[in-house]
Parts: sequence; structure tokens; C-alpha cells
Amino acid sequence: MEIINDFDLKKQAEELGVSVWKTPSFLLIVMGIVIIIAMTATYFISRLYDSPEILILAESVVVSVILIFGNSLIQQIETIAKVNKQKTEFVSVASHQLRTPLGAIRWETELLLSKMSSGLDDKQRNGIANINMLAGRMTRLVNDLLDVTRIDQGRMALKKENVSLDGIVSEIMEGLMPLAKAKNLHVVIDKKRKIGNVIADNDRMKLVVENLLSNAIKYTKANGRIEISLFEEANNVVFNLKDNGVGIPHDQQSQVFEKFFRSDNVVKYQTEGTGLGLYIAKNIIEQSGGEMWFHSEEHVGSVFSFSLPIA
Amino acid sequence: MAKKILVVEDEESLRNSIKEFLLAENFEVVTASDGEEGEKMVRSENPDLILLDLILPKKDGFGVLEGIKNDEKTKSIPVILLTNLEGADDVDKAFSYGVNAFLVKANYKLEEIVGKIKEILKM
Repeated sequence: MEIINDFDLKKQAEELGVSVWKTPSFLLIVMGIVIIIAMTATYFISRLYDSPEILILAESVVVSVILIFGNSLIQQIETIAKVNKQKTEFVSVASHQLRTPLGAIRWETELLLSKMSSGLDDKQRNGIANINMLAGRMTRLVNDLLDVTRIDQGRMALKKENVSLDGIVSEIMEGLMPLAKAKNLHVVIDKKRKIGNVIADNDRMKLVVENLLSNAIKYTKANGRIEISLFEEANNVVFNLKDNGVGIPHDQQSQVFEKFFRSDNVVKYQTEGTGLGLYIAKNIIEQSGGEMWFHSEEHVGSVFSFSLPIA
Repeated sequence: MAKKILVVEDEESLRNSIKEFLLAENFEVVTASDGEEGEKMVRSENPDLILLDLILPKKDGFGVLEGIKNDEKTKSIPVILLTNLEGADDVDKAFSYGVNAFLVKANYKLEEIVGKIKEILKM
């Protein structure tokens, strides 16, 4: 089965969710072999019988074989495309349906905590607060899945707004400060330079910055250091986020921006996360006309950066 | 005098939590559970602001908007769309009707929604 390995048929079959014998590549190979055999046979038959009828007959057999295989190949590809589309639509519908009950849980618990909490003791209040927080976490997960579906369908809608990255960084960092303090992290925000606004979707940019900052906090050990800087460079605003955290192993660095990727270190040091955040973040930045990249060394730390054109 | 809010939302639990929260914030609240009822109540109740869902029985949110915005008496009432739809088409269409805000339900706390209402009503 050398040929199966050579053409990565197993991988293709897994990705498409069909057996090896039904992958388009395998069918193409079989079709090629059949055509070569049929042509050779035609050649020998036409030499044996010196008659044009036989030659025409043999050639029509070859053409029929090509048509039959070609047709089954096209059908196979169509089936795969249809299944993929259904999968995407399923995620989209399920996510929308999930958001309604999740939203209801969050609103009911918020109402209980803020307007109807008289008579509740601390334990009861904490229990409700936890339900609220967990429903929020599930909502974010559903939102991530919806975003991935939209990216895959090329339907991610980004608003074009005048956005101050400076403001977003301050706002998000303020929200995350309790987490950083809990780990006694030293957070430095370099704000010496004045930077211009960028054109982007404000809510989505908050998602990107929050994702990068919360990653840096999560993967930096207690008493570590996080440095954020914003500066202008050749008509772009550049965001730089440096940490002295656990870093990403060298052999896994090429997969960092892939969907569902989680490095060994992430799995080792903490468990929460889906591996969708950076994939979504990079897509948002690129769709806004910018770029995202990183440098990382295991046990030393990482620098995550992105640039966006100045408005 | 308390400001009157009309909540048009078909999901009972969502409708009730918004209503209770608004009442606790000293608003007057009237509710409708489908689009037709909602549109009638815009005229009969003359609210100060409308919270409108998009996916509704009998008449959808865009249909209700169409009715409100084409009526001289109701077209200046502020509208906040509260929905779980957020396709680019929906957002564009909503703003073409002149809605004051488009909020994705799942991503907003009740407190933030009330903040938006107060901002629009300049309270």
C-alpha cells in the first residue's frame, strides 16, 4: 500500500470523512491506471486485427471507461461538498438555537443577583453568580463556533469604524487586571508614543485584544512580566505583546494559527480553551487589512504582534 | 413621570426578565409576544422607546419596523433591536430603517441594555 502513503490518501480520507477507496485522489489514480491499461490494450488489439472497426470499438470502450470513472469521481466530490455544507449549516443553526436559552439563563441569573437578591445568603448568591459566569463562558464558546463557521463560509461581517487601539487596550487590560494581580504579574503598558486610529470593527477588535492579553496572562507563571506596546511604523499601527511565559515548543509553532490547535504546553499548564481564539483573531486582523505574527521560545516567552493600517 | 418601554419578544423567559429588570429601574413596561400585537401596541400605548426582537411570530421585526417608520405618529419613537441574528445583511437593513441600536442578545447584560436605553432617552 505504498501508493496510499505516497499520496497521503489516509489523511485525505480522514479529513473528508470517507473511506480511502472513495477519496477523489484514489479514484483519480485508479482512473489513470485504467486508462493506461485500456490504451495499451487498444494498441495491441489494433495491431492484431488490422481493421478500423475494431480500433473504433476499442477506443469507444476506453472513452466509456473514462466517462464512467469520471462521473463517479464527480459524484464523490459533490457528495463530500454537500456533507461539508450540511455540517457548516448544522453548526450555524445549532449555535443560534443555543444562544437563546443561554441568554435566558444569563438574564434570569443577572436579574436575581441585581434586583431580587434580598433574602439570599452568600452561598446562594455565589451559586447563582457561578451559573451566570458559566453560562457566559458557554456563550463565548458558541460565539467562537459561529465565528469559525462564518470565516469558513467567507461570511464574517466586519463593521468599518474609527477605532482607538489605545482605548481598547486600556479598557480590556482594566477588565483583566484582577486575573493578572491574582498571579502577581508585572504588567507594563508603554504609552509614551501617540498613535493614530485604525479602521476596524470595534467589538471584534476588543475580542482580538482580549484574546491575546488573556493568553499572555494564562500562560505566564506567577510573578512573571507582560509588556504591551503600541507604535506607528510605515503607515501602520503595530501592537506588540511580550510575555516571559511558558512559550510554544518549536516544532508546534507552524500550527499556532490553525483551528483547534492547542500546544502541548497549553495542555500541560492549564486546561480551559478551545484552540479557536487565535484562529479567529488572525482572520479578523487579516480581513481588516492587517497582519498577525509571533515569535516564541519555549520556557523563555512569546511575543504576539499585529499591525493595522492607520485610518 | 416614568418612561414607558414596549418590549416585543416572543420568548417568555426573556420577556419577563427584561420586564422585571426595567420595573426595578422604575420604568413603566408593556409587553407583546408577537409582531402584530407589538405593532398595535405601538399605536395604543404610545411608548417612549421600543425593544424589538427580529424573529417573531405572525409578523417579523422588520415588518413591524416598516409599519412604525411609515406612520407619521410613530416614526420618531426610538427603537432598539434586540436579536440573536447578526448577519451583515440584517445589520445593514436595520440601520436603513433608522433604528437607534442593534444589540446581540447573547452578548449583552440587562444592565448594559438599560444603560443604552437611558443613553437614548437622555436620562
